[in-house]
Amino acid sequence: MLLVPCPNCGPRNWSDLRYGGESHARPDPATATPLQWRGYLYLRDNPAGWLRENWYCRSGCRRWFTVERNTATNEFRDPPMPGDKRGAKA
Amino acid sequence: MAESPAFESPVVKRYKAATGALTLSDASAATKWLVRGPEAGAVADRLGASFGSSCAAEGGALVLGSRPGEWIVVGVPGAVAETVAGIDGPEQSDFVTALDWTHGRALFRVTGADAPRMLEKVCSLDWSDAMTPDGAVTSASVAKVTCDIARNDVDAKPSYLIFCDRSFGQYLFDALIDAGDEFGLSVAPADP
Repeated sequence: MLLVPCPNCGPRNWSDLRYGGESHARPDPATATPLQWRGYLYLRDNPAGWLRENWYCRSGCRRWFTVERNTATNEFRDPPMPGDKRGAKA
Repeated sequence: MAESPAFESPVVKRYKAATGALTLSDASAATKWLVRGPEAGAVADRLGASFGSSCAAEGGALVLGSRPGEWIVVGVPGAVAETVAGIDGPEQSDFVTALDWTHGRALFRVTGADAPRMLEKVCSLDWSDAMTPDGAVTSASVAKVTCDIARNDVDAKPSYLIFCDRSFGQYLFDALIDAGDEFGLSVAPADP
């Protein structure tokens, strides 16, 4: 079982959440090239290791948040604690 | 406030009513309002319940802090009306919405010493007193249905209010009966 640390609800079973994929900085629409947009929309790093990713707490607080997870071990690094706004998705 | 149509419960099957150590009752007819607004501000101060907790409003309605910046007000019609009156009016400086949820949500009450053990069968949260004491409010999947759950003890016995979408009401009621069967769950008469 994978326990995902929601900043509002605390550790929750992954089935209470929705995986939102890797978290990337959105390019500036005014200056981004088509190549940069393609990379942002379609390309993923998919590492076997630490990855910054988005989750949606669909059964709990219904908020998006960002955490770092090791995709090889499912360990979370410095997870946001309940009430901690660091994990809030911009 | 517009007058609501006659209420019809989502639980349409007939059950033999009884009272035992562990009971499940249909409280869907209770008036339910959803209030959304800023997490901090005049509305949050007026309602009084922070995220994850509940409190009784002055008129007797129960206010649940169901999500950050989201509250459920439940009770008898007059008490709820008193609590939400003017809460989303134009004189408010914050952006606030208040919605009558009475007909859109089912509400069940599970009461008894075995209620936490029964809930553990259908929900992955920790229902111990330390994690969810009387007054705690949370949202989680119950029998695969997203629900708002509030602990609201009755006569010093653990009791939980479970809210779900109306369309899941009959299914969830039957799922809770199945989960409580091994604890001798009986269906109590509907809460007024």
